[in-house]
Amino acid sequence: MPKVVSVHSYRGGTGKSNFTANLASTVALKGQRVGVVDTDIQSPGIHNLFGLEPETMGKTLNDYLWGRIPLEEAAYDVSANISLKGGGNLFLVPSSIKADDISRILSEGYDVKLLNDGFRQLVRGLKLDYLFIDTHPGLSKETFLTIAISHILVLILRPDKQDYQGTAVTVDVARQLKVRKMMLAVNKALNKMDFDALRQKVKAAYNAPVAGVFPLSEDIVQLASNGVFCLQYPIHPVSQEFRKVARQIMS
Amino acid sequence: MTTKHDLQSLASSIQAVASPFRTYLKNLHGKYRSLSGGAVADYIPELASADPNWFGICAVTVDGQVFDVGDCDQLFTIQSISKAFVYGLALEDHGRDYVWSKVSVEPTGEAFNSIILDEKTNRPYNPMVNAGAIATTDLIKGQGGTERLNRILAMFQRYTGRTLDINVPVFLSEKASGYRNRAIAYLMLNFGMLSDRMEETLDLYFQQCSIMVNGHDLAMMTATLANGGVNPITGERAIDERYVQDVISVMLTCGMYDYSGEWAYRVGMPAKSGVGGGVTAVVPQKLGIGVFSPPLDEKGNSVRGIQVCKDLARDFGLHLFNVAKPERDLTAWIDGDGAIDDW
Repeated sequence: MPKVVSVHSYRGGTGKSNFTANLASTVALKGQRVGVVDTDIQSPGIHNLFGLEPETMGKTLNDYLWGRIPLEEAAYDVSANISLKGGGNLFLVPSSIKADDISRILSEGYDVKLLNDGFRQLVRGLKLDYLFIDTHPGLSKETFLTIAISHILVLILRPDKQDYQGTAVTVDVARQLKVRKMMLAVNKALNKMDFDALRQKVKAAYNAPVAGVFPLSEDIVQLASNGVFCLQYPIHPVSQEFRKVARQIMS
Repeated sequence: MTTKHDLQSLASSIQAVASPFRTYLKNLHGKYRSLSGGAVADYIPELASADPNWFGICAVTVDGQVFDVGDCDQLFTIQSISKAFVYGLALEDHGRDYVWSKVSVEPTGEAFNSIILDEKTNRPYNPMVNAGAIATTDLIKGQGGTERLNRILAMFQRYTGRTLDINVPVFLSEKASGYRNRAIAYLMLNFGMLSDRMEETLDLYFQQCSIMVNGHDLAMMTATLANGGVNPITGERAIDERYVQDVISVMLTCGMYDYSGEWAYRVGMPAKSGVGGGVTAVVPQKLGIGVFSPPLDEKGNSVRGIQVCKDLARDFGLHLFNVAKPERDLTAWIDGDGAIDDW
């Protein structure tokens, strides 16, 4: 049975897209067929990590939402771009980066039912083992939908007060939507912090497991969204932490 | 219609979108979308212009969850589906005994527009054939045509939870070409089965058939019946609870024209169809179903509508008299039981 994993954060700048790309790649490294959909229609970006340039980007999620194509036609096999090994595949469905396309979606809106139907088409059509959904920060219709359909919801937060509060709101919504499985990931923790204490504190605050704690890493910043960190630096502690999260996703 | 905008309401609508039951309906829609066969009603030009590709499936549960797929917002004229609901209003106006003295409840096995009356009592056979429907509409109380029409519209609005309009060109076309219905009315007038306001009643009958609804409305209407006469979303009562069983009974025995016997046997969900392409079916205490697709079979029932209802009844065991364990459990599919793999 395919698994759908949604990655959310209440606020922007938590490193959500980077997290999604690394986690999806780590799962794909285990020989799995993995899809990633960028539903952050208002501010798409994850395509950069997978080496997909706007110039070479043809069809996008937008074309599907406008009824022009089946969602599969907007899926790009980016396995070679990221030098994925191990027999797995990684497909990306990007959102359009064109200002006109973004404007059109913003002014017209779209039927959230289409998104649901498209995800299912994509999973069947590409015979995916995992579907990762990257979302716009905060709460929106697509956040609600992706929470409701996911097998696993991953909430990313930074150790700061605004993130703590916002995550509490998202956790409430997720429970109202009867989320099947929820886990938290703390990102950008300062290295001087006690990671174990942080893990315990977050776990207790939301009564949900903490899948991983990631440091504020200069190494990741240095890569500047040019590629997937885990694939380029597989023995780095951050990559090891992603493998730990991947094991929990795949168990 | 009062719509709530709190977290629970939004969560509920999103859960309906994400529900495995909606995925089932989506797949059902895909299965029958390309089904050809049947023809769009063409006895008046307004109906002939319907797009044969229009196809919507909607289901509403008695706790107000809405599942829709396809063209559920496309408006069309309610046509014969109105008959079942106006019958309920006539019962409220006069009670069971009096209405029964004017209109029987026996299936005819004849086409909907047949000109036959019970030879002994001169009553039309049932409120679902044109003769019985005209006699039923004649019973609707009110001072003059406008008040009577407004009472009928108000009733439908309680069922659907939204404001409804008449399609005036359809009404005028039906009125101008309705010689056969006029003949039926004169015959009943001759036997003293119709009041002296026959012309007004005929207008009213053509108007009630020209009310514009969509697939979503059809599901709301039968969901209201399934919910004991109370609209599950607005909470408003649409029909006295005593008469819910009367309306559902005639739907079961006479609702699908001269296909009603086989329908009751094969599908077993009380239902009513109209030549506009609508079919509405009720699963008492569970849900209402509305299907819209204009191509009709030779008996006047929506070709896709029949297939959709057949599949639903079989897959979820929705036949009224089913006792066998169905292939799929309706509650589990609606609630999204974790064990269901709908991916």
